[in-house]
Amino acid sequence: MDVRVPEIPESYQGYRSRLQAFIAANLPELSFKPKVGLRVPDEPEDVVKLRAWVRALHEAGYVPARYSESEIDEIEEKIRVEELTKTGVPHALGNGLVAGALKHFGTEAQKAKYLTGLATGEHIWTQLFSEPDAGSDLTSLQARAERDGDFFVVTGQKVWSTWAQFSDYGYLLARTEPGTGRQGISAFILDMNSPGVTTRPLREITGTTDFNEVFMDAVRIPVENLIGEVGQGWAVATASLSEERGQVGQSEASDPVVDLMRLAQRSLRPGGRASADAGIRQKMGALAARSRIHRYLSYRTQTKALQGQSELTDAPLTKIWFSETNLDLCELGMEIQGAAGGLAEGDSRVVDEGRWQDGFLYARAWTIAGGSNEIMRNMIAERGLGLPREPRG
Amino acid sequence: MNLGFDEDQELLRSTNRRFLEERHPITALRPQLEADSNFDRAIWREGAELGWGAMLIPEAFDGGSVTAQPLVDLVAIAEELGRVLYPGPFLETNVVADAIATAADENQCKAWLGPIARGECLATLCLTEDGSPDLRSIGIEAVTDGDNLRLDGVARFVAQAHETDLLLVACNTPGGGPALVLVPTSSEGVSLRVSTGIDLTRRVCEVSFRSVVVPAANVLGEPADVEGRLTRIFQLTTVLQAAQSVGASEQLFQMTLQHVKDRVQFGRTIGSFQAIKHRMADLWAELEGARAATWYAALAVADGQPDLDEAVAVAGSFVRENAAFLAGESLQLHGGVGFTWEYDVHLYLRRAQADKLLYGDPSWHREKLCQAVEIVAEGEA
Repeated sequence: MDVRVPEIPESYQGYRSRLQAFIAANLPELSFKPKVGLRVPDEPEDVVKLRAWVRALHEAGYVPARYSESEIDEIEEKIRVEELTKTGVPHALGNGLVAGALKHFGTEAQKAKYLTGLATGEHIWTQLFSEPDAGSDLTSLQARAERDGDFFVVTGQKVWSTWAQFSDYGYLLARTEPGTGRQGISAFILDMNSPGVTTRPLREITGTTDFNEVFMDAVRIPVENLIGEVGQGWAVATASLSEERGQVGQSEASDPVVDLMRLAQRSLRPGGRASADAGIRQKMGALAARSRIHRYLSYRTQTKALQGQSELTDAPLTKIWFSETNLDLCELGMEIQGAAGGLAEGDSRVVDEGRWQDGFLYARAWTIAGGSNEIMRNMIAERGLGLPREPRG
Repeated sequence: MNLGFDEDQELLRSTNRRFLEERHPITALRPQLEADSNFDRAIWREGAELGWGAMLIPEAFDGGSVTAQPLVDLVAIAEELGRVLYPGPFLETNVVADAIATAADENQCKAWLGPIARGECLATLCLTEDGSPDLRSIGIEAVTDGDNLRLDGVARFVAQAHETDLLLVACNTPGGGPALVLVPTSSEGVSLRVSTGIDLTRRVCEVSFRSVVVPAANVLGEPADVEGRLTRIFQLTTVLQAAQSVGASEQLFQMTLQHVKDRVQFGRTIGSFQAIKHRMADLWAELEGARAATWYAALAVADGQPDLDEAVAVAGSFVRENAAFLAGESLQLHGGVGFTWEYDVHLYLRRAQADKLLYGDPSWHREKLCQAVEIVAEGEA
């Protein structure tokens, strides 16, 4: 057994210094405040600045295109993640899920154009999977794509599309055969500026606007924008989703367990500091254990991947552990503050600029999105443990 | 990156599994459930050939491990012994061997380590009066008597003492600090009472010391490093308890999974109901977490990693508590048959509950974990 993270050699100090200098010179000033999760600016000017920032990072060699042939120096990569995460400013825009789809099913022309566009900030992507009546049961999606010469004509409604209000392209699932089920679904690249595409931002429980509804009315998509073959959409989606789920909850800006302890050390209760309260300490200890175990489980997942022994249940397992522990940590962060835990961002007395309250509200995005935890449990039970599948109604 | 057993450790594990399936299946426990003597030395001696007592002992004293991480090797064996609820003082004997080996007194090593490695000597831990890992609970007082020490007092919750040859005893010394001494179980003045416990597959004893004379040669290490040795002892008990728990949980989970696949009610297998499926998924997910925590703690202790205290406290607070929860759920999911004496589920449930409380209950370890996090928070400030 060995999970030691290699020490960063002294010789990389120059690389880190250059990157830090680059960040200092190029980091955009935004009206958008960094928050936990996949969050979207309100102001279009912020998006312009962010695109310029991502392009500058890419041109300086700090954000390589995904799945590119060039060798990636793992230590440089680690330094990049550390330094860029610290800034709190995103270095990838939109939803990059399509990258996994293109990796497995894209044509060379598609890969060349879109994987580069993702990395340079030129292309912002959104995901067009869920529909009002197709959430957990994604295979019941009803958006229609009908062949018309060199085009598909798409009509339907999508929802929960992050970044759609600022996106150039959408990664779309639509039905090329009528009916329900996995058959007859195809995957497309949708130019979001096409006539007939309407985007309506959705305000969520956080009070912020990170998702959208997208309406498509007889939108024409050229056939070269099909990903994979006609009817192969479910396989395309599955391939990209399984790449995404494994990444949930990685590269946190700070250690939530330490943050929670520091919060308790600063929080006064009637008898003294919250960090000296035995009841609070027991709860912190329980969550610290769960949070660390999430880390150890990701070592297990990485080990299995390196040995070519990944299993279908790896991603659901880490998703459940991360998302439920994260919710519990945020709730305890609020409890530690006592009644002040009920304050929120905007109040002059709120602690940590309201990060615990925002984290608590946003936490549901992680327990629901990307396959709700109930669907994850079905996957574990059915595909991992071999229990009978749920009957369709 | 490798958080998992390597090939040699997998081989060690499968060899032990085969041996236990043949020589000590769970059914072997049945005739002994209500007898005082519940342990077969012949099987221990055979197990010694598979390394049951040898991993933490240097080769010079007939020991030897499979890999450069002896504790991880031992975890592979412990999981298999946990799977069949092995009753012997496996954990304790290995911890005593480690304490002797790390104290590194040539004469003590020669006297005890060979017999332990060969399976001729079994040992256990007489640490505190309340079974906790708190040094304030040491219940044995030592006084100086010429070159010797004389012990009086009691240690409780001593695993399988009645089946052992050697006791590692923690006692308070006239100087104020604790000492660790080796006392043959048959020494004059040592008396045992086997407690009636909830765990039917392993006994704990109350060990009383009345004017027990201990020669200076049996004192382990220097007074200054006794607290460090006791810390190491409780790191090992935590890791090995966790490993046994994971093995037992895995076995019980598989039994339960089979049950929900086989049992038909309302014209369908109960495992087809989502209420059952989601519970099984949760039990599996938590078991995966318990295994990862156990392996990580073993690795951290084996390599002396900087986050060792944190890793041990994570395992100590989570793994056994989760095993006890899994055992309760397994009984519930078995329904009425799980409530019968005849089914093995209650044997696992009883062991899991008793184990959870020994060598530091989960609340004790959660407090330790908070202390470890405080040190990290200070270091980063």
